[in-house]
Amino acid sequence: MFKKKVTFKVLLLLIASDILETTVHFLFKKSTLDVSYGQVVDLTTMAAFLKAVFASPFLWGGLLTVVTVFILWSVVLSKIDLSVAVPIASFSYILIPVVSIIFLHEKISALRWLGVFFVLTGVIFVSLSSKERVEPAK
Amino acid sequence: MKEGLLLVLFLIALTSLCDTINQLFLKSAIDSLKFTPTFNFLKISKFIFQLLIKPRLWLGFTFSLISLCVWLVVLSKTDLNFAFSADSMHYIFIALASRFILKEKMGAFRWLGTGLIVTGIFFVSLS
Repeated sequence: MFKKKVTFKVLLLLIASDILETTVHFLFKKSTLDVSYGQVVDLTTMAAFLKAVFASPFLWGGLLTVVTVFILWSVVLSKIDLSVAVPIASFSYILIPVVSIIFLHEKISALRWLGVFFVLTGVIFVSLSSKERVEPAK
Repeated sequence: MKEGLLLVLFLIALTSLCDTINQLFLKSAIDSLKFTPTFNFLKISKFIFQLLIKPRLWLGFTFSLISLCVWLVVLSKTDLNFAFSADSMHYIFIALASRFILKEKMGAFRWLGTGLIVTGIFFVSLS
């Protein structure tokens, strides 16, 4: 049986996976900014765009981080329930806008923060609902 | 980004859809092996090997790759913070697919959570 208690060690792992998850998307965004390529309008420009992006070290850094997050996440899930892990991991919904403001100089309005809050609450509800007892479908 | 908003939302929906299809193939491949969770390293290795030779798994991976490519196009067109929040629409696709394709039963709490995500994406898109 899995332990349900979130120990300090598990919490640290979760925070690490949060930060790495944010890093993944930051690196992906960086890789698209890295290439000096115009707008993608059709499949031809998309192919040229992707060729340029896949040559960016940021993208491969991002993919490497994806693998790291996957391993960390598997370790976390072997220690605690998914319904406990997901709400804590949803911290990246806050972390991403913060990183976007600081490092990418993106602007975030109050309405968008409200939207982020709704999404975050929704994700937490969905993950908590895995404890719900429901009758099997007919 | 007003004019391109619909296109970007469409592309995000496309990556979410590809992700969902990937999850469905993955789930179907895993279910077909009738594996019970264990910490036995040998059994886990055997399970992963059996999984890797399932064509369905690679079909899923193909969709995952398409999803990555479309996602990169999305990121080139819009802010990261918008794309990340809007990408949570995969929760909606997963919920619908679980309910109607896998015939899983969903509780009220889960529908409520999915509804909140829809509302959130709506607000994020408005701004």
